[in-house]
Amino acid sequence: MARPNKTLRRNLIALSLVAPFTLTFLLVFAWPTFKVIQLSLTDAPLIGDGTWVGLQNYRELLDDRIFWVALKNNGYFLVLTIVPTTVLALLIALAVNRLRGWMQPFILAIFFLPYILPVSVVTLVWQWMLDFQFGVLQPMIEAIFGKRTAVFRDPTWVMPVIALVTIWWTNGFNVLLFLAGLRNIPTELYEAAALDGATPRQRFWRVTWPLLWPVTALVLTLQLILQLKLFDQVYLLSQGGPFNTSQVLLLLVYNEAFQQNNGGYASAIAMVLFVIILVVSVMQFQLLRIGRHR
Amino acid sequence: MAMGVSLKNVKKSFGAVDVIHDVSIEIPKGDFAVFVGPSGCGKSTLLRMIAGLEETSGGRIEIDGKDVTDEEPADRGVAMVFQNYALYPHLTVYDNMAFSLRLAKAKKEEIREKVAEAARILQLTEHLAKRPAKLSGGQRQRVAIGRAIVRQPSVFLFDEPLSNLDAELRVQMRLELARLHRQIGATMIYVTHDQVEAMTLADDIFVLKDGWVQQAGSPLKLYDDPDNRFVGGFIGSPAMNFFAGEVSGGGGGRMEVRTEVGGKVFTAARRGEVSSGQKVTLGIRPEHLKLSEEGLRAKVDMVEQLGGVSYLHVKLEDGSNVVVERHGLREALEGQTVGLAADPDDILVFDQEGRRLR
Repeated sequence: MARPNKTLRRNLIALSLVAPFTLTFLLVFAWPTFKVIQLSLTDAPLIGDGTWVGLQNYRELLDDRIFWVALKNNGYFLVLTIVPTTVLALLIALAVNRLRGWMQPFILAIFFLPYILPVSVVTLVWQWMLDFQFGVLQPMIEAIFGKRTAVFRDPTWVMPVIALVTIWWTNGFNVLLFLAGLRNIPTELYEAAALDGATPRQRFWRVTWPLLWPVTALVLTLQLILQLKLFDQVYLLSQGGPFNTSQVLLLLVYNEAFQQNNGGYASAIAMVLFVIILVVSVMQFQLLRIGRHR
Repeated sequence: MAMGVSLKNVKKSFGAVDVIHDVSIEIPKGDFAVFVGPSGCGKSTLLRMIAGLEETSGGRIEIDGKDVTDEEPADRGVAMVFQNYALYPHLTVYDNMAFSLRLAKAKKEEIREKVAEAARILQLTEHLAKRPAKLSGGQRQRVAIGRAIVRQPSVFLFDEPLSNLDAELRVQMRLELARLHRQIGATMIYVTHDQVEAMTLADDIFVLKDGWVQQAGSPLKLYDDPDNRFVGGFIGSPAMNFFAGEVSGGGGGRMEVRTEVGGKVFTAARRGEVSSGQKVTLGIRPEHLKLSEEGLRAKVDMVEQLGGVSYLHVKLEDGSNVVVERHGLREALEGQTVGLAADPDDILVFDQEGRRLR
């Protein structure tokens, strides 16, 4: 009877190894998710129970003009950040990769530094630099556009500038990912390509780009998820204004839940965002994988 | 004879470190030349300089009579096979081989013909649609060679191409390379640290050490008539045995050398000027050592029995190891004391700097 005992012991060991994660996952992810879904089907305030209203919150959402504005702004923000930050990170990584000796870690550190700053520091720095009266960047804006601009109070400027701040803040991590990817491409491949008669441009498009594609796909997907969750920068820089031109879904969730005390309605918005992130990121990752195999 | 590759006073330094010192060599067209030497001797650097992957610090490199010292790698008419193959992992075997032709904007039909021909020569036809990851080490190596063949270069460069393969495959690929050279007749330069590969493949061997060419010549020339102690010791397996000694007399085309260990007098054919009392080193290959009652005393430590050939590892009084080759040995000799001797014509003499005294 040694055998069943052994199997049992092995299963117990396996279970004990899996248990901590499973419990944590159930406690801090599955249970809250379930509660949010439940909450979104009620008219509950932020604290306390509400009455069951079925899909009423979701129906209301469809007629909520601000919701559609926020959704559109989220989309606009994706356009402003994802591709630009990916291209920029790749270019910086390519340049840093060419550096030798102490210069490489030094320059890399400079690009990575903003990433370790807390968001409140980042927004303060940029608020100072862009301050209407004293900001060091205002003379530059004046020189190019003819007049000083309070960028966080201007409907045209607000989203692009938040995008700029976000890219400045988070780009270092993407540079790091690309750099790791570039270092994984053996030097001999470039030497072989040089012997095969490839110009530097052809070496990039025929060797670097295809071999870096898995990293590019990863960066694009991580960025998509990260930028859909936009909240801190908007909250700290513009509070969704002016005239809701920087209103985004998470800010709306915050306003509904913590300012208007509409827990049920806020949960419904959160659920919509959750589904959007899930669907869009899975779709994108699948599309990018197909791209790699082509 | 027309020259395939010639190097004239070629030098290379990385900063203050000279890795190639004034190398001048001539490799005839169609020759199979091998650069051999221990690691760090500069053989790969020299090959990469011919390929154009390393800049030349001084001197001239000519390929087919044309000065290519400052030409781009792609314009030199060379193709290179790398140690770790350097295949493009995202491309199929076909696309790997077609890569250079496509860059050169060759016609589709021409590309197909050339790749098919190379695949036929290298028995890769059934693997053309696969990616490198799906191939064995030997197949990958053949794809790398195929990529070189389709370019029809005037010079093939091989950088330790067999060192990532297992022993059996290495022997097989060695034969295939020799056959390939006969088939296409192009100039080939081959870098290896393995003197067996050098001996079996080369028309001409260039032995390098510390950035200097120690000696150049046919495999047998280097084996029979090394210019210095390094070449004598490097070429041949098992390696040549060396005995330190002192000239004790001579005359009539002979000189006598008394060994430091054991104090035994060996007689070598006299070549060049030597004076009595001069310190020298005797070099005797394992197959030239004979067992003789009156010879240098040594104790048999181990016997490697290969059937036809056996190698006796014997120890001298001071514990230094000497290898003796015997044919058809059937007795058990371990632990016995033997005497070592050799014919005067089989003994090479080197001076204290390692130069050959002829």
